[in-house]
Amino acid sequence: MRNKRYMASIGLAFSEVHDMKKLSEKAANGWHLKRFRFAGYGLEKGEPEETIFSIDYRKLRKDDEEEYFELFAYGGWTHVCSSADMHIFKAAPETTPIYSDTESSIDKLARLAKPVNLAASIALAITMVLWVFMTFASGTIQHIAEQGFTYSFIITVPAMMTSGGVYYHMWKNLRLKSKHI
Amino acid sequence: MKSLEQLTDSVFYIMAALTEPRHGYAVMSLIEETTKGAFVVGPASLYTIIKKLVAEQLIQLHDDSDSRRKVYVLTNKGREILLEDIERRKTMIHLAEQGLQRGQK
Repeated sequence: MRNKRYMASIGLAFSEVHDMKKLSEKAANGWHLKRFRFAGYGLEKGEPEETIFSIDYRKLRKDDEEEYFELFAYGGWTHVCSSADMHIFKAAPETTPIYSDTESSIDKLARLAKPVNLAASIALAITMVLWVFMTFASGTIQHIAEQGFTYSFIITVPAMMTSGGVYYHMWKNLRLKSKHI
Repeated sequence: MKSLEQLTDSVFYIMAALTEPRHGYAVMSLIEETTKGAFVVGPASLYTIIKKLVAEQLIQLHDDSDSRRKVYVLTNKGREILLEDIERRKTMIHLAEQGLQRGQK
């Protein structure tokens, strides 16, 4: 029997809560998160376990790492895996959430938004330049621009949707805050 | 980065704990003990707020000889801001207490 599995993600900007819930369901069935894998997660077979998962986005300097992970450990959160600036933690159900206040969870989304927006802006700029060439140039240049435009358009649309996804979550958080009398 | 004109409860508790030198998780446990668990600060919130307070120069690194447990303490600017916020909170409480007393008569 295979003891490794892959779980896909449609992108953390959209499905963070959903992904974390799904990881927790998998763990209850004995499939445990081990590592990030391309556009998803690598799971391994083990004993069923009641666990909750949380993700944080943070650029850590080398000398900040220990302090950061130590704080989570003290708060009851075990570090599972990291990829670039994303860090996933697990804990027993009912553990205090890693973000206990709205202000700092909005800060978290703002950190996520930075690289996402940069990527989306670059993609959009390239698409626009190619559109100009496609429309106003002629001959080979126009032909190349046309092809390039199709590809960059395919990249730009999901990139902008991801940006939108992050802002949607930020807006949801702000609404939550205003409801919190 | 949003500035900290009015301290949120989390920021207030953390600054109050850092009137004396403490490392991150001593801050967490002090808050939990003092409020008997009624108020808890999650690790990601605590880390975010510590970084923000350092950037705004309201707290500073006091001792980083143990990289797992960096010790922070309020700066003079931090003390000033905390005192201002205490006054703000006192006004709120004063208003409520006086109102309740008058209401009883």
